[in-house]
Amino acid sequence: MELKPSIPSSSLIDQQVFPGDVVLDLSKITSQTIKLGGGLRQNTDLLLNVRNVVIRMILRWPKEFVLCIHLVTRSLLVIMMHGAAVCKDGDLISVMKGGVLRFSKPNKYWVETSQKRYVPSAGDNVLGIVVDARSDNFFVDIKGPTLAFLPVLAFEGGTRRNIPKFEMGTLLYVRVVKADTGMNPELSCMDASGKAAEYGPLKEGFMFETSTGLSRTLLSSPTCPVLETLGKKIAFEIAVGLNGRVWVNSSTPSIVVLVSNTIIQTASMSPTQQKIRVESLLQKMQ
Amino acid sequence: MEQRLANSWRMTVNEKNFIQTALLSDLRIDGRGPFDYRNLTIQFGIEDGSSEVQLGQTRVMGFVTSQLVQPYRDRPNEGTLAIFTEFSPMADPSFEIGRPGESAVELGRIVDRGLRESRAIDTESLCVVAGKWVWSIRIDLHILDNGGNLVDAANIAALAALLTFRRPECTLGGEDGQEVIIHPPEVREPLALIVHHLPIAVTFAFIGNESRVIIDPSHFEEAVMGGKLTATLNTNGDVCAIQKAGGEGVMQSVVMQCLRIASVKAADITGKIKKAVESYKTKRDLKKIKRHPDSVDISNISKDMEKSKLELVKCQSDDMEIEGHSSKKDESSLRHSKHKALISGPSSWDPYSKIADTDELKASLASRAVATPNLKMDVMPPEKQQLNVKDESHRDADPSPPLLVAAEAREEKNKAKTLLDAVKPKHKRKKKNASNSNGS
Repeated sequence: MELKPSIPSSSLIDQQVFPGDVVLDLSKITSQTIKLGGGLRQNTDLLLNVRNVVIRMILRWPKEFVLCIHLVTRSLLVIMMHGAAVCKDGDLISVMKGGVLRFSKPNKYWVETSQKRYVPSAGDNVLGIVVDARSDNFFVDIKGPTLAFLPVLAFEGGTRRNIPKFEMGTLLYVRVVKADTGMNPELSCMDASGKAAEYGPLKEGFMFETSTGLSRTLLSSPTCPVLETLGKKIAFEIAVGLNGRVWVNSSTPSIVVLVSNTIIQTASMSPTQQKIRVESLLQKMQ
Repeated sequence: MEQRLANSWRMTVNEKNFIQTALLSDLRIDGRGPFDYRNLTIQFGIEDGSSEVQLGQTRVMGFVTSQLVQPYRDRPNEGTLAIFTEFSPMADPSFEIGRPGESAVELGRIVDRGLRESRAIDTESLCVVAGKWVWSIRIDLHILDNGGNLVDAANIAALAALLTFRRPECTLGGEDGQEVIIHPPEVREPLALIVHHLPIAVTFAFIGNESRVIIDPSHFEEAVMGGKLTATLNTNGDVCAIQKAGGEGVMQSVVMQCLRIASVKAADITGKIKKAVESYKTKRDLKKIKRHPDSVDISNISKDMEKSKLELVKCQSDDMEIEGHSSKKDESSLRHSKHKALISGPSSWDPYSKIADTDELKASLASRAVATPNLKMDVMPPEKQQLNVKDESHRDADPSPPLLVAAEAREEKNKAKTLLDAVKPKHKRKKKNASNSNGS
């Protein structure tokens, strides 16, 4: 599947988009699978067709399952993904949520937003807090609309005999296995192949909550400037959950306080500003 | 049930332990020292008696209103003070609308005790007719955001609102002299409350097994603390109130240490409150004096002119001025009979706005057939000549010195006859100013 070169799809990628911006005119694209993602919507407005607008493609969240609806419009297959707020009956795909438009080859587009609330989606690594324990599940809070279940056996080498005992308030690094709307998400302390791989309870350290956008920035590659600059001078351990929770640990409390406050304060700064600020803070320490 | 569970804020074991271990090295999670307050900002609303206080993440709004009511039987000549708190659900997920929770009642009690028991507000001055009518002051505290230490922030909000609040002036009148007439603020300047001193609440939290003391606990620290102590003091060194409701027991020496620290912090916070209130009051007074863009310079220049003029034309102008005042008195007394009561200055009248054209002034002065203007007219040309000789650039300020002398000197008398004009709509202001100048 090739993207038509005539589609000016790159004009709005990685740019701030607002609700109502039209991303793509489907009439110009033939025989292509377009995946609609979160924050995009297909419009059937004939008036819009007439209008000369910038056309963008709408894509779906990359890691999600293919959902129910498949529609064919002018030999164009548009697949709706989980989490997409889409209305399918038109030629134009427009933005529903304000955010940054992201593109991933060959044909994935989605709108990335940053909130304090987390919408659980499968495959995310999050930090959860144990709320309750039942015979077959732990109830874990992952900042979503509902509590999540962590099966008691979802640990490496987990059997009925060696069920871990987590007290209330234990911090866990877990993976979201299943997350459907309306149902409690399911978690696991193993990766896809069944190994432990760093999942599990986090001991000591300090946890704070931020927005989902900041978590994504901290997890981006290449390493985000704050962590890079801090890492050059200080030794610390950090775990970032996509639900906006960040855990930091180090040998002395002062380093932990410094790192956590730096991350919170530089959240809204540009990369160069972040570097400058971090360096000045480090100098103050020494 | 699950929904409720999912939405409430939780504390992890890690955080608890970390806060305690960090305190062992005198470090708090936001980088403060154990006896440091967070940033305090005090802002005021448009109306008198409304304040918004921000202490770190905590935000509280205070409103003060007053009403005439019947006094309590056992205190017939004292006004009343009441405090109402509202814990808005947007401040914290654990706050709910409806009946105030325990912490809400406690907060109201602490603020109330600090103000009432220490007699910070002079309630006897709130009495209008003993046994019948007194002013009832009501303080409403709205919690907008709970970032920890609501008591201190609410107390500061209440004090700031009380310091900027002004109640309408009322007099006894009517047929039998028993009727209370409340004057609107345009007619009479409202009066401020008499506040003797400022009781400042300082909250301490005890954390950990060794009961480490920290001041101004944040949200995290409040969830971990074992006990809390609030001391209300003023800058004179009086302890107005102490509140320690439950929690871990502390040694007597710790309590004394807390009081010592609290007195230092109270002085600090009192200074901040007073500074904020002062700047608000100057802004409020400046708003009353509406300045025409041209007249700003003129008023400054004319003040200098006035001084120089007085030096130059000593006796003559003094005589003229005195005569001017006396004649003004006659005029004002004539008009005075028309008014029923003595009225003090209105808040929207301003002597410096829109000084009329020089021609208009001369014309109006010439047309007046009262004794003084003739004299003034005679005085004016020589004065003017002198002024002209002195400084030509201030030509347009020439008619204003005599105007301003009169205007500045006896404002009350002017107001007696121009009050009605002041209450009139704005487009008649030029006429009023002309009549002002006529009066001089």
